Amino acid sequence: MTPIFKFDGIYTPVVTPFADDCSVRWDALEEVIDWLIAQGVHGLISGGSTGENFAQTVAERIEIAQFTVEKAKGRVPVVIGTGAMLTGDSIALARAARDMGADAILLASPPYSVPTDRENALNALAIDKAADLPIMLYNYPHRTGTMMGEEFLDRVGRSRNFCGIKESSGDINRVHLLARDYPHIQLGCGMDDQALEFFAWGAPFWVCGGSNFLPAEHVALYEACVIENDFVQGRRIMSALLPLMSVFEQGGKFIQTIKHGVTLNGIDCSVVRPPLKPLNKDDKRALEQVVRVLKETISDIRAEGTK
Amino acid sequence: MSLLTKDEYQAIAAGLDFPTMAYIDGRYRPATSGKTFSSINPATGKELAQVAACGAEDVDFAVTKAREAFEDGRWSRLHPSDRKDVLIRLCKLMTRNARELAVMESLDSGKTIYDCETVDVPETIHCIKWHAELIDKIYDQVSPASDDHIAMIVREPIGVVGLVLPWNFPLLMMAWKIAPALAAGCSVVLKPAEETSLTALRLAELAAEAGLPRGVLNVLPGGGVDVGEPIGRHMDIDMVSFTGSTVTGKRFLGYSGESNAKEIVLEMGGKNPAIVMDDAENLDRVAAHVVNGAFWNMGENCSASSRLIVHKDIKADLLERITHHAKQWNVGDPLDPEIRMGALVSKAHYKKVCGYLEQADKIIFGGKAENGFVKATVVEVAGNDVALAREEIFGPVLSVITVSSFDEAIRVANDTDYGLAASLFTANAKRAIRGARMLRAGTVTINSFGEGDITTPFGGYKQSGFGGRDNSIHAHDQYTQLKTIWIDLADDEDEAVD
Repeated sequence: MTPIFKFDGIYTPVVTPFADDCSVRWDALEEVIDWLIAQGVHGLISGGSTGENFAQTVAERIEIAQFTVEKAKGRVPVVIGTGAMLTGDSIALARAARDMGADAILLASPPYSVPTDRENALNALAIDKAADLPIMLYNYPHRTGTMMGEEFLDRVGRSRNFCGIKESSGDINRVHLLARDYPHIQLGCGMDDQALEFFAWGAPFWVCGGSNFLPAEHVALYEACVIENDFVQGRRIMSALLPLMSVFEQGGKFIQTIKHGVTLNGIDCSVVRPPLKPLNKDDKRALEQVVRVLKETISDIRAEGTK
Repeated sequence: MSLLTKDEYQAIAAGLDFPTMAYIDGRYRPATSGKTFSSINPATGKELAQVAACGAEDVDFAVTKAREAFEDGRWSRLHPSDRKDVLIRLCKLMTRNARELAVMESLDSGKTIYDCETVDVPETIHCIKWHAELIDKIYDQVSPASDDHIAMIVREPIGVVGLVLPWNFPLLMMAWKIAPALAAGCSVVLKPAEETSLTALRLAELAAEAGLPRGVLNVLPGGGVDVGEPIGRHMDIDMVSFTGSTVTGKRFLGYSGESNAKEIVLEMGGKNPAIVMDDAENLDRVAAHVVNGAFWNMGENCSASSRLIVHKDIKADLLERITHHAKQWNVGDPLDPEIRMGALVSKAHYKKVCGYLEQADKIIFGGKAENGFVKATVVEVAGNDVALAREEIFGPVLSVITVSSFDEAIRVANDTDYGLAASLFTANAKRAIRGARMLRAGTVTINSFGEGDITTPFGGYKQSGFGGRDNSIHAHDQYTQLKTIWIDLADDEDEAVD
């Protein structure tokens, strides 16, 4: 299938740096964007959950998205998150994405209302109509309470804009289903600890929060699996990355962990908006340890290839 | 259903959400190539949607899925009553969405909303319902036999069928084919006409909603070369039913011979005569029938009575009445329920019809054409040998030929490559029956214009087609094949040799 937009590579859901009063630190955000692009990520997502969209007003989200599009200056594609509780808010975000010249939108199920597949599809088609941009679906049933099921996927097929899906259910059967039965929707990894499995099934992209501070290491896995088709090396890199995934998923402090990782790289991102609180000392130490080891390991693995 | 106002139809049109993807294996997908083509509203020239332009790889994929569905029996081996239930549910869903379908059909094809609302959509539903109701009422046969054997003659669904549709009645022609094909238990790979794909795609979605299993009905929009030909040449399609031009129909015979010798059913062109004899009664009524036969659906109808063969003695009288009736066939915005003639289906077809108008020496009525719309036109031709009398124009052009006797009328009527339909107007019963027998056409109507209804077979003689019939119980035959099951019951002792 030839999609209308190709989501290739590592898409980073960009964090939002805040000052102590929780206002957006624009200079730091610009720094993050420039650094990520320089490090070789393939696309940016503004207004994803890693960007703390749930703690921002629609107007704020639009402002951050606009800033991101402007600063990216067309160097990499920018995808704008439209996930919101209210359909009206999602539509406003979708329209704004279109008007600001974004490349695509990220479309999630509305959280909390638990729509049926049919309701969810009609909602998605309404948001699509407002943007008329390529769409990366975001299936994250643990956060939204609802799975983008087959009826949903069949119904949204009415519009060719639905050309990618960030699959974050964690259910490997979904990877098989999407790869086999929905080849017209590009499969993207949204479950970090299954990245190798996604790539084995032909997923061309990975949306990974960790690439906010370890872009080269995430790009390394993508390149090994997708570009070089070397799954032996891919498995070694993935193995090196897995301790990080454990820190992300098992600590229950995903965003704080990512933001601390960015802080470790020298861009202060330590402030998170309520209800979240920053990492404690032990968590920080655990992350630092894991990052140090995996960087070294992956660097060594990649260096072998250049000998 | 009562008609709405033009404003109301326009409001519905503005809110329509067009299906634009191919429908394969129970879901919408873009063409593998990612290509699309523009679907144009012929009444305005504006684009309605970009529709998936399928190709051979999509046909192949759809056939694989259709075959899977056929072989695992999810539809083909379902109890006939269960198949009936699904199709009846589809009819209910179509009824619920009838208005949307009618407006979509009008926008896509240029047909008047009046026709879409009063003919196309209700007849489409009626057709599917009729075949659905028939499924569990067709019995197989047991041959006359001795006590020593029993022979059953049963009909089985033929398999994966390719259905290739024309653009003049997008919904209705789809129903004519899918209703008996699905009723029989076949899996379908359907190509709507490139000009009019939207309602077929919508219908596929409704069928899935009604419970038709995945893979059983696949709709692939696209061009003739890209989709039609791969269907014709596919090694795993068991039969093709085609309705369209004679030129294209003949190609399918070639594809069949060059591939897997699949069965081919053809419903093709017509240049149908309407004979009016000097003894015809109530010329006013005759005129109404002739005008309806010639101009209904803008003459974009293979069974349109496009040749008026009239006896010289009543010619002047009849033409005057025809002119009077033809005046009522006003041309304009198809979404206006007062309009009887909408736009011709495409710019290319409009140009073709205009080309024929230019050939006319003597225009009795009409003759005007602009912006894709052509007025009801009556032209006089010198004999039956000119293009206006021989070629299928597929537009609102009625060619008038004068004759002096009944035998001459029949001779002229039969002097054509086609043989789809014919009508004969006479009050003489003997002539009516003799004429009906002598006219070489699939459907002959006496003192009326029509195609019969769902209960009667529709199809042609000569180059109008062969291989089967649409409508009626006979339509099922083409989607099934006969099997003989012979069972030996002989007692071993009788067989023993002493």
